[in-house]
Amino acid sequence: MKRYGDHRIPGRLFVVEGIDGSGKSTQLMLLHQWLKAEGYGVVFSEWNSSPLVKDTTKRGKKKQLLTPATFSLIHATDFADRTERNIIPLLKAGAVVLCDRYIYTAFARDASRGMEPEWIRELYAFAVRPTVAFYFRVPLEVAMKRINDARAGFKYYEAGMDLGLSDDPDESFRLFQGRILEEYDKMIPEFGLTVIDATLPIETQQQEMRLMVLAKLTQAKQLRVAP
Amino acid sequence: MKESYGVRLPGLELDDLVGKLIVLEGTDGVGRSTQIRLLKEWLEQQGHAVLDTGLTRSGLVGKGIKRAKEGHTLGRITLSLFYATDFADRLENEIVPALRAGFVVLTDRYIYSLMARSMVRGLDPVWVRNIHRFAPKPDAIFYLRVSVDELIPRAVFTRGFDYWESGMDLYSAEDMYDSFRKYQTALLQQFDQLAEEFTFNVIDAAPEPRVIFEQLKAGIDRILTPPVARAAVTIPTTPPPPAAVEEVVVEEAPEERRKRA
Repeated sequence: MKRYGDHRIPGRLFVVEGIDGSGKSTQLMLLHQWLKAEGYGVVFSEWNSSPLVKDTTKRGKKKQLLTPATFSLIHATDFADRTERNIIPLLKAGAVVLCDRYIYTAFARDASRGMEPEWIRELYAFAVRPTVAFYFRVPLEVAMKRINDARAGFKYYEAGMDLGLSDDPDESFRLFQGRILEEYDKMIPEFGLTVIDATLPIETQQQEMRLMVLAKLTQAKQLRVAP
Repeated sequence: MKESYGVRLPGLELDDLVGKLIVLEGTDGVGRSTQIRLLKEWLEQQGHAVLDTGLTRSGLVGKGIKRAKEGHTLGRITLSLFYATDFADRLENEIVPALRAGFVVLTDRYIYSLMARSMVRGLDPVWVRNIHRFAPKPDAIFYLRVSVDELIPRAVFTRGFDYWESGMDLYSAEDMYDSFRKYQTALLQQFDQLAEEFTFNVIDAAPEPRVIFEQLKAGIDRILTPPVARAAVTIPTTPPPPAAVEEVVVEEAPEERRKRA
């Protein structure tokens, strides 16, 4: 078992992080389109999407069976499955792998649910260190407005309703996501996250992202799979 | 009055647990479930409420693990974490509530089996220990130990070789017999190390089940009866005749209550 930072593989791993409504998924989608057009072998992997584990997580969430401990462990299981069966083999093959959310999401959420930070970090010690981890920083109010404009209301676990912070989903979301923002801020120096100001225009953020990604790809021209 | 191996889970208090946590460990086919059955009956006759539990039975992930294993597609890190999730679910929803209510919890395997399996599959021992550090320390761990040579006939003549118990995910090029031997040997080595680290009570599992049962009873008696109370209570030297069993239970119940008070 290789530990975080010990993997020596030819591919490139770019991940996006940020609270819900930060716009990170939109940015990753735009990056994906660009890389494909440039002819790179790109693969996209989403948080909480392992076919083997997803059903269990879904059931646990729907029936609200999850505690902070099982929430943490089931997400780690999902991530492990994607790491072992997708991310590592693809990176070994020289692909560009894009992840919407990565281990920092787990660190922020689980710590906000009261799990011990050192324990969670060791739990994910098998993860590959990303080439660049983009953190889309956005004030809470902006994120909440974006979510409310896009859909009606917050989801149970997204709003941290399992913690009993408040009976009002809006208030609970504010308190819980506020904690998560604090956790992210602590991780910027700890893991060298690349901060993107997510209040800037979409095009400006994308431009910044592409420049940084390009700098990492030019060192690895062999990754191109098509002209 | 319990503590974990170093990690506290939010909302899971351990210091008010009055029940006893008793673990039976040992490799596959060593006779653990037979002993659990006998012990449960015996403890209930003595007036103790018993919860018997084991691995992969949780409401949350039990089914998911079973399904995933049928396809043999799980990676070794994933499998370890799936089991740890299952264990956490069972701990929070079954074991801890039962201990809080004063039950004797008999568990067929515990984190040590999970750790041994993961380490045989080459996972980092530090990582493996860490993920199980939220587990409460048991009141006793009984390890039923047999050699691989004793184990093989049991597997052959009872259930046949199982894919996972033979470690076929590890040594897939070989036949089930060679794989079983290799895998169980490696597993026993891990158990022997864990036995020292976590102070298991090692019991030779080669003799008749009755003999093992007597040893387990003696070990459990020491945990359930505090030395002071034991001196005060007269223990019958010969077992009561079968007809008197019910009477004994009725008589012993108030004793138990007084002891606990």
